[in-house]
Amino acid sequence: MSLTEGSKPARIDGRRLRSERTKQLIIEAYLSLLRERPVVPMPTAAEIAERAGYSVRSVFERFPDLSKLRLAATDYALAQAAALAPPRHVEGDRSTRIRSQVETRAGTCERGVALWRVLLFSVAEDEQLRSRVELGRKRTIERLEVMYRPELSTLSEKERAYTLIALEAITDHESWARMREQHRLSFEAACAVWIDAIDRLLPPTPSA
Amino acid sequence: MVRQTDRQAEPQSAAAGAGGDGKIDGRHLRSQRTRLRIIEGYLELAAEMSPLIPTAAQIAERAGCSARSVFERFPDIHSLQVAAVDHAVALIVPSPPPREGDGREARIRAQVESRSRSCQTWLPLWRSLIANQGDSTELRARVACLRQGVMDRLSAMYEPELSTVPEAERRRVLIILEALTDTESWARMREYFGLSTEEARATWHQAIDRLLPPTPAAP
Repeated sequence: MSLTEGSKPARIDGRRLRSERTKQLIIEAYLSLLRERPVVPMPTAAEIAERAGYSVRSVFERFPDLSKLRLAATDYALAQAAALAPPRHVEGDRSTRIRSQVETRAGTCERGVALWRVLLFSVAEDEQLRSRVELGRKRTIERLEVMYRPELSTLSEKERAYTLIALEAITDHESWARMREQHRLSFEAACAVWIDAIDRLLPPTPSA
Repeated sequence: MVRQTDRQAEPQSAAAGAGGDGKIDGRHLRSQRTRLRIIEGYLELAAEMSPLIPTAAQIAERAGCSARSVFERFPDIHSLQVAAVDHAVALIVPSPPPREGDGREARIRAQVESRSRSCQTWLPLWRSLIANQGDSTELRARVACLRQGVMDRLSAMYEPELSTVPEAERRRVLIILEALTDTESWARMREYFGLSTEEARATWHQAIDRLLPPTPAAP
């Protein structure tokens, strides 16, 4: 097919866009399979292709192997978490900030626990996944620092570090999953557990 | 070739014929010793390879027997996993109960030290268990039981404080204390945050002290 000089860039862009969209659909298919069947670390290429509505060949045209798909899905999930969970009510009072941070974090954990478990299982054999796990943790800590800056600013460097580590531990993906799965708490009840705990862990809010 | 059913008959005849046929007793004893070596071999390898699980061939080599011996005693790796977890749990020495008169500080210190030692010791096997429990109801039940054991311990150590609050609040505090002192939480402090043992214990100590309700005054 011959293309005129003027129309060539638009066709290439269209192909690229369609290819990127297919990639995204494949990634979303993988993530939805994980959420449905969290006990299976890696769905097969055939299962992913069927869910996405494409051929297995299409999957491997975009991802050389399933571990590359897993890595791309991780990057996608991290970007999605950042987009869906911007910091809110940063200037609010203590209870507003705690509630806001908890509800945001709870949503992230509710969506992401299946993938998080896969990552932790696979991180020993994949250095690139390890860096993504560390990035996820780093962002969690940064968010805690932003939301609780007034309270944390009253602490010594050591106490501040200990408090952040404890906050990260109690608001971990697995902590959320245990409340929902093992203790059978509703979303709201699990949020209430976190709100209460964070309120206890934080030092008093300095007066304005 | 001795079939599995023949081997299954052996324990009964050995038990029924105590002091009777020495050969049957000897075979039974050797079989039990091999079973134990297989379980111990699995546990060693699971800890070394965590979170990956060893193959039957690897387990057999470590145990000094054949893969056939492994499958004669365990229908599959999953049943060996279950038996190994039960064996490991049976080896756990219960932590001493809180001493009468121990104050809040002493109890927190004792519980943190005990829990941190336990986490450090069991981390590789715990990771292997968590990563490989899959949809196994037996393994999930054991994980749930172990977690409940941690909560029971927390409940016992902090009874003075927890007894002052309503049941719903008590439950919330225990859930969070268990999350805070989870084995992976310990691992993160040591591996990701790079804390020393003392710093990690201090982190838990500070957090537990803040999470617990006030200690009631002594009568």
